[in-house]
Amino acid sequence: MSKITVPIGPQHPLLKEPLAFSLTLEGEHVIESAMRLGYVHRGIERLSQERTYVQNVHLFERVCGICSHIHTTTYCQGVEALLGLEVPPRGLYLRALLCELERIHSHLLWLGVQARNIGFDTIFMYAWRDREIVLDIMEDLSGGRVSHAVNIIGGVRIDLTTEHRDVILRQLDTLEPQIETLLDVVENERSFQARTRNIGVLSLEQIRRYCVVGPVARASGLDMDLRRDAPTPPYDRLKFRVPVRYEGDAWARTMVRMLETVESVHLCRQILTTLPDGPTSVRAKRRVPPGEVVSRAEAPRGEVIYYIRSDGSDKPARVKVRTPTLTNLITLPDQLQNISMADVSVVLSGVDLCIACADR
Amino acid sequence: MSRLLTQIYLFEEIFAALQEAFPDAEFVVEDKPVDDTFLKLAPEKVRPVAELLIEKFDIYHLSTITGDDAGDGVRLLYHFWSSYGLTLDTLLPYDNLRIPTLTDLIPGAAFYEREIQEMLGVTFEGLATPGPMFLPDDWDGSFPLRRQRLQKSQ
Amino acid sequence: MKPRMLSSTPNPLATLTHRIVQWARRKSPWILHFNSGGCNGCDIELLDLLTPRYDVERLGILKEASPRHADILLCTGPVTRQSRDRLLRIYEQMPAPKWVVSMGSCSCSGGVFQGGHNILGGVDQVLPVDMYIFGCPCRPEAIIDGLVRLLEQIK
Repeated sequence: MSKITVPIGPQHPLLKEPLAFSLTLEGEHVIESAMRLGYVHRGIERLSQERTYVQNVHLFERVCGICSHIHTTTYCQGVEALLGLEVPPRGLYLRALLCELERIHSHLLWLGVQARNIGFDTIFMYAWRDREIVLDIMEDLSGGRVSHAVNIIGGVRIDLTTEHRDVILRQLDTLEPQIETLLDVVENERSFQARTRNIGVLSLEQIRRYCVVGPVARASGLDMDLRRDAPTPPYDRLKFRVPVRYEGDAWARTMVRMLETVESVHLCRQILTTLPDGPTSVRAKRRVPPGEVVSRAEAPRGEVIYYIRSDGSDKPARVKVRTPTLTNLITLPDQLQNISMADVSVVLSGVDLCIACADR
Repeated sequence: MSRLLTQIYLFEEIFAALQEAFPDAEFVVEDKPVDDTFLKLAPEKVRPVAELLIEKFDIYHLSTITGDDAGDGVRLLYHFWSSYGLTLDTLLPYDNLRIPTLTDLIPGAAFYEREIQEMLGVTFEGLATPGPMFLPDDWDGSFPLRRQRLQKSQ
Repeated sequence: MKPRMLSSTPNPLATLTHRIVQWARRKSPWILHFNSGGCNGCDIELLDLLTPRYDVERLGILKEASPRHADILLCTGPVTRQSRDRLLRIYEQMPAPKWVVSMGSCSCSGGVFQGGHNILGGVDQVLPVDMYIFGCPCRPEAIIDGLVRLLEQIK
């Protein structure tokens, strides 16, 4: 059979972001794939050396619009360690509240995009409608739907009254049954399963060799979650389960993300009901003493790691960011091997691509 | 607290195994925030130490490799994770920016090494490089993360 | 017999067709979205327009997949060196008349990434922009407002 090369991207209805793929097909099956990143490379690590630590909080928030809060959390956590600051417990709890809300919003967004890519537009509309509740909560807390600017070096800039807390708890009560319905559809709906089962299977051995992180790793049996394995307050006091599945296909990844969304709703409730009193931030000095720090956190897509080196001035000497999507992208050639062209969309969205995160 | 004790205990085991396997090598250990230990070693020891960590202690998760232009050379940091962080810290002099690749041991290191190759000009011997990764096709050949942007020919 | 010449008085049938097409363009603009290097914040706010809360389909706006079907090009993100040629090529593939809307601070001026080694600036460095919508990211209400104002200019 003759071979054809099909380009996908940088502008393509499947992709929200520019990314170029080149698939070589023999008949209906993919035999080779090549990927070109770099369309969204803004040189953020270089830019961060020319801005102060405070300006960098706003720069790193814009590495990715979907997981903006976790980037600033990891960055501020690192700089606070360099400064030797202790963030008050109330500040840490509010940071974690936004982290969990962001996880819910990111997974619902992803579910909608995945459903759209398999042709199930109804789930896209339902998931994004439910996501609006989460965006409303985040907007009432911080003033922004997508970009919150909540983290400052030394804590958070927002606070919560008891009435506001009760309003959020009621909104979470409205959200929870809707997420349960979506989970039920993913678990039991035959058409959804027919398009996602046994597609893009990754074994535990491949996960370990490629150092994959996040829900993609947990769907293949690797039990790794930094909220539990490297707990920073308040996660050391909160009870939650880490869902792990063993099938390793696109359906298992969907199940892991939906179960995580349910757990995140429970975590938000725990955080709100056990919120300690006190201030939400401490003052931070402008100049950071020389040192280096490695800061990790669990983003919706997996482990995000920041390495920050300071030389005593008010600008960082080096900030290195590694986002989870860059790690998960390396599995794509393996997943795309020998699948039918119609399943390429399922594989591409199953990895939860965020090319803005990968390219920086 | 119990996790901190396991961390200390396990690291002592690792350090003992390293001194036994490489009796003439020099290792400097330093604890760094948040929850990390830096192990300074010579560039030619990085690959054998990584092999030992993987085979003997099952520390296979490489979070990332950081490249940093430190003024007196390019510093490479290999960040491993196994319930706590362990970073291998090595310095390559400007006139010899070469180090063997880790991709045959850890295939997941490919993207990190390619990025450092592109941004800082370090050559990873044995690394497959099918083309530019982040920089555009019409880039002028300089290295963005270097202090002075040296040309590729140098 | 006097030869029939193309005169300056307009053919009534052509005028009617022209007016119908103009009406359709104004009442139902089809948009194409291209992210030339942004963080995704504006993109997800744009996708939010299609969802039940904002639902721009009731205004006749459809998000199209191919540049050849689109009237309005919605650009997000600053223009990076790698995506500059692709952006130009997409613009050339769109049939005239076409409009370009620059959504978000990055696409208007480069945003927080100004001065980056791979950034050329906002979309107006590469294409002629008809409408600027500010915000980081711009709210869905602002996007609808911007699109409606652009449509009022098309008459």
